[in-house]
Amino acid sequence: MKHPSQKIAREYFLAALPLFFLQVVFGLLASVKYVWGYDPLLNVAPFNIARTIHLNLLVFWLLLALMGATYYMVADELDTDIYSVRLARLQLWILLVSGVAAIIGYFFHWSFGMPFLEQPTLIKVAIVVAALIFLYNIAMTMFTNHHILTRTTATLMGGMVMLSVMFLFGIPFMGNLSTQYYFWWWVIHLWVEGAWELIAASLVAWSLIKLTGVSRRTVEGWVFAEVALVLLTGIIGTGHHYYWIGTPHYWLVWGAVFSAAEPVPIVMMLVDAVRDLLKARTLPIVNTLALAWLGASAFVHFMGAGVWGFGQTLPQINRWTHGTQITASHGHFAFWGAYGMLAIALMYGILPEISGRKPNGKQALSFAAFMTLNFSMIFMVMALLIAGIVQVYLQRVMGMDFLEVQNHLRVWFEVRLVAGCLFTVGSVLLLWDLFRLAARQPAAEAAAQPVPVPAA
Amino acid sequence: MHATRTALVTATLISAIIFLGMTADSLRKMRARTHSDQISAEVIEGKRLWQHYDCNDCHTILGIGGYYAPDVTKSYSIRGEAWLRQFLKDPAKMYPAGRQMPNFRLEDSQVGALVAYLKWVSEIDTNGWPPAPQGVAREEPGGHRIFLAQHCNTCHAIEGSGGTLAPDLTHIGSQKSKDWILDQINNPRGHKADSIMPSFAQLPETEKQELADYLAGLK
Repeated sequence: MKHPSQKIAREYFLAALPLFFLQVVFGLLASVKYVWGYDPLLNVAPFNIARTIHLNLLVFWLLLALMGATYYMVADELDTDIYSVRLARLQLWILLVSGVAAIIGYFFHWSFGMPFLEQPTLIKVAIVVAALIFLYNIAMTMFTNHHILTRTTATLMGGMVMLSVMFLFGIPFMGNLSTQYYFWWWVIHLWVEGAWELIAASLVAWSLIKLTGVSRRTVEGWVFAEVALVLLTGIIGTGHHYYWIGTPHYWLVWGAVFSAAEPVPIVMMLVDAVRDLLKARTLPIVNTLALAWLGASAFVHFMGAGVWGFGQTLPQINRWTHGTQITASHGHFAFWGAYGMLAIALMYGILPEISGRKPNGKQALSFAAFMTLNFSMIFMVMALLIAGIVQVYLQRVMGMDFLEVQNHLRVWFEVRLVAGCLFTVGSVLLLWDLFRLAARQPAAEAAAQPVPVPAA
Repeated sequence: MHATRTALVTATLISAIIFLGMTADSLRKMRARTHSDQISAEVIEGKRLWQHYDCNDCHTILGIGGYYAPDVTKSYSIRGEAWLRQFLKDPAKMYPAGRQMPNFRLEDSQVGALVAYLKWVSEIDTNGWPPAPQGVAREEPGGHRIFLAQHCNTCHAIEGSGGTLAPDLTHIGSQKSKDWILDQINNPRGHKADSIMPSFAQLPETEKQELADYLAGLK
C-alpha cells in the first residue's frame, strides 16, 4: 500500500463479504423451494422474493467489491491519494442503507418488478447519487495533478461511466413490455458483456502487472485490443436477446453473428492470463492465492460465459433452450467465473497489503475454501445443465406440461441443493479466511518485521 | 500502441452507430409487431400489477425471468380467459397440490386488468417463439389432452404419471360409470362433501363428454 487513503478498499470489502454470504443463503432458500412440493413459506417469503434478493445481493456485493478495488487500484496506478475518503465512505453508506431498505421492502411488495432491477425508483435514484459521487471522486483522483492516465485506469473509467449511464435505461416504467425489455437489456447485457468486462479487464491487467511483473507495455497492448473486441462484439451482440421479444426478425441474423464472436475476446483474456502467469512473469510468486483465483477466474469465465454462452446463442438452438434451466446453468457459471472469482482474487490481492498480513497460499483454510467453492459450483452448474436439457426435451419438444416436467426434474434439483449446501460451507470458509486476512496485524507481530523503507 | 487505441475508438463508434440505427428502426417496427395501438389503460394497469407483485421473478414472460413457474407469454391463448380468471382469483383451487402461487386476494377489476395484459402479451409477434412441440403429447386422444390441459395430473396419476394427492385413475373405468365420472367433474362435493377437487362445470359440454369417455375407457 502506497497511500493511507487506499485503506478505504478494506471497508468496501468488509461490507461486501457478508452480502455475498447472504446472497448464498437466499440462493439456498430458492433452491430448497425447487425440491419442496408445497412451500411452507409461501405467504412469508415466496420464491420470487428469495430470487429477487439473491439477484440483488449478487449485483450489490460485486459492485461494492469492484468499487473498493477501483479506489485502491487508481491510487496505486497513479501513485496518489484518493481525492476524498469522506466522499468514498459517504457513497458506501448510501449504497448500504438503500440496499438494506430495498431488501426489506421486497417482503412488502415494494418492488419495481423487473428482474435484477426490482429496486423501487426512489432506491434507484439513491443508487444513481452514489454512482455520481463515485465517478466524481474517481475522476478527481485521476485528474488532479495527472494529465495522462495509464491505459488500465482509462479503461476502468470508461467501464464505470458506461455502467452508470446504462443503469439509467432501467429506471422508467414503459407501458409496452417489449420496449421495456428492449431497454432492460441495455442494463443487463451491456453491463455484463460491456461495462463490467471493461472494469474486469483493467483490474485483471493491473493485478497481473503488479503480481507477476509482466511488462506494462505487453499487458496494456492486450487490454485495448481485448476491450475493442468486447465492445465490437458485445454492443451489437445484445441482439441475441432480441430474438423472441417482439423485435424485428433481422436480429436473428445480427444477434447470431456478433454474439457468436463474443467468446473471442474472452479466449484472448484467458491466453493473456496464462501467458503472464506461466511464461512472461518476472517476479517470484508471493501471493499464490490471488493468482490462483485470478487464473481460475480466467478459465471459468471462458467456460461459463464463452462455452456455455456460445452453446445457446444461435437462434436455431436458443429457440428451444430460451427460458429454461440451461439459462440458469449459464448464468451461475458465467457470473461466478467472470466476476465472483475476480472479486475474490482482488480481495486476496489487496487485503494483505492493507492489513500488513502475509498472503500465505499454503493455509489449509484458503485451499479448502477455493476447492469447496469451485467444486460445488461446477457440481451445481452440471446439475442445472442436465435439468435444462431434460426440460427442453420433455417440455419444448414433447409438449409436456411445465409443472409435470418439473416433477421429472426433481432429482437434478436435489443434486443442485446438495451442491448449494456445499457452496454455503465453502462461503463460510472463504469469509473466515478473508476476515482473518483483513484483520489488522497485531502490534507484536508487526514489530517483529523489518520496517519498510519509505520511497523517496 | 496508438494503432490499438485507434482500433478501440473506431470499433466502439461503428458498433454504437449501427446499434443505435437498428434500435431506431426496431422501435418503429415494434409498434406494429406488438400491436401498440391496443395497449389500453387496462393493459397498462395489468402490467403495473404484474410488476407490483413481482410475478416475473417466478414466471418467465417472453422467456425472461424466473424459471420456477410456467412461461406466461401464451397463457391467454393456451388457457383461455375463464381459466385465467378463476386461477388468478384463487390459485390453490386449480392446483391443490405441488408448487403453488400465493393468493394475492385480487379484486375483480385487478384480475380483469391482468387478463387484459396477458391477452395483449399473447398477441406480440415473437418470431414464432415458443416453438410448437413436435412430440406425441400433442397427438394424444382428445380426452387425455383435456386431462393434461386441465392439469388433472397435478393430483391424479394414470399409469404412474401424475400426482398422488388424489386417487389413481389407471383403472377408473372398471370402477365407475361414465355418468358417475361426469357428475364428479361437474360437482365433486356431490359424491364426497369434503372433497378438495375443484369443479370443472365451466368446461364446454363436448369437452366434459370427451374427458368422461376417455376416463370411463380406462379399464
